[in-house]
Amino acid sequence: MPRNDAYGYAVARIRALEPQLFDPSQLQRMIDADDSDAALKILAESGYARWMNEGARYDSALEAELCAAFDEFAAFVPDRGLIDIFRIPYDFHNVKVLLKSAFRARTGGKKRYDLLTRLGSISPDDLVSRMESEEYGLLPWGLSVLLPSCASMWEQNADIVEIERVLDSGMFAAVISLADSLEFPGVISWGRARIDSENIRNLLRMKRFGFDASAAASFLHGGGTVTVAALVPLMSDQFEAWGRSLAYSDVGAAISAVEAGGDFDEQMPALERTLDDFCSSVVANARYSSTAPENITAYLWGKEMEIKNIRTILVSKGTKTNREGVKGMMRRGYFG
Amino acid sequence: MMESIISTMAEQLGPAFVVLGAALAAGFAGSGSAWGIGIANEAAAGIMTEDPKKFVSALILLALPGTQGIYGFLVAIFALLKAGIIGSPVSVTVWQGVALGAAWLPIAIAGFYSAIWQGKSSAASILLISKRPEQMGKAMILPAMCETYAVLGLLVSLLMLNGIKIG
Repeated sequence: MPRNDAYGYAVARIRALEPQLFDPSQLQRMIDADDSDAALKILAESGYARWMNEGARYDSALEAELCAAFDEFAAFVPDRGLIDIFRIPYDFHNVKVLLKSAFRARTGGKKRYDLLTRLGSISPDDLVSRMESEEYGLLPWGLSVLLPSCASMWEQNADIVEIERVLDSGMFAAVISLADSLEFPGVISWGRARIDSENIRNLLRMKRFGFDASAAASFLHGGGTVTVAALVPLMSDQFEAWGRSLAYSDVGAAISAVEAGGDFDEQMPALERTLDDFCSSVVANARYSSTAPENITAYLWGKEMEIKNIRTILVSKGTKTNREGVKGMMRRGYFG
Repeated sequence: MMESIISTMAEQLGPAFVVLGAALAAGFAGSGSAWGIGIANEAAAGIMTEDPKKFVSALILLALPGTQGIYGFLVAIFALLKAGIIGSPVSVTVWQGVALGAAWLPIAIAGFYSAIWQGKSSAASILLISKRPEQMGKAMILPAMCETYAVLGLLVSLLMLNGIKIG
């Protein structure tokens, strides 16, 4: 039996779950709400209500909703790797929190275990006990090698930026290695699109902070459709020319659509939204198949984008950002 | 002695071909139907996990690939009746047996493949009604297109069986 045929049940279940996702009209209602209380009231009319206990912060509700989606999918999706590929970044987030806490504790600082998330594939408790006892051997995603190396880097030069860089590279290597091992073309393309997006985002930030090209190369990750060697020369170009220089690639075509005018503070949110939409577009066609495993990727990525949109709206209520500006930051997500 | 053995073989070889053909007609068409229903069933189970009220609509759609199995069964019964293996006994020569036995091919092949593809079509239609239950009519028409070729296979098999003169 072809491997895709095992996904008939999973894809059908996703179709039945689709009505529970926020559609653009619900997001628009939240944007139009007068204040954060009114926006939260709209959120409480949806499936998020089950996590919105009295006095709980909305961040906890958003995290609980995403965690529940990961757990639910893990129970019925034939290849667990399709869910783990979304959980890897959270594992690396937890590792960074624990490493920084450990380094801070050595200088008498406070451990920040409150920043750990349950969204990773390794439970926070398990991760804490392994790191405190320095039993890295059984940790997945290359962490068994990365963690001792990060600890020794800290001993040598206490350079937290370099440690973060090494962990970020390790994270993207783990994502693309898992995508390759799954052997689903759409998932591999999505993994590569995420690396391309991260590289271009990093490149614009480094240009803003005046990094030179040789320093910038070490902050870019391999495994994308555009090589690091092709990205580095962009540092000397204006942002407006990047789309033209990368026109041979899909990501180049995507960033050509970003309006180049304005300063960094205007370019960056527009670029981030465009890159997230680009990743969504890579798996969007899976919706026309009743057996494609890429439907799982499309749904979970759509869920992450939905949560990002909700968080953007709720934060904007606190910062009194104008509604048109917030609308411009909304990701297309699952509904395209 | 040798003549007697050859004569007995000739008498039994004709009906043997008919039995083989009937078995393959029912077996292939039935297997295709089971496969197709299995595919559609996965989709039906998937949407019913979230919305059990879709049971009736899903049941109608997942039953569609089951017809090919019935067509194969009909051809098998008709061939067995014609050869007198069930019902009134008749004498069937080797060549008549081969011809009756070969009449299984259209329904077995068309039934097997059309049932699998109809199962995939039904699965897609089940996904359609999970989002748009009001489109049930169109959702039924789409997989029914595959049925056309199973019906053609059935007709050709029946015409072949009908055209063979026995006795």
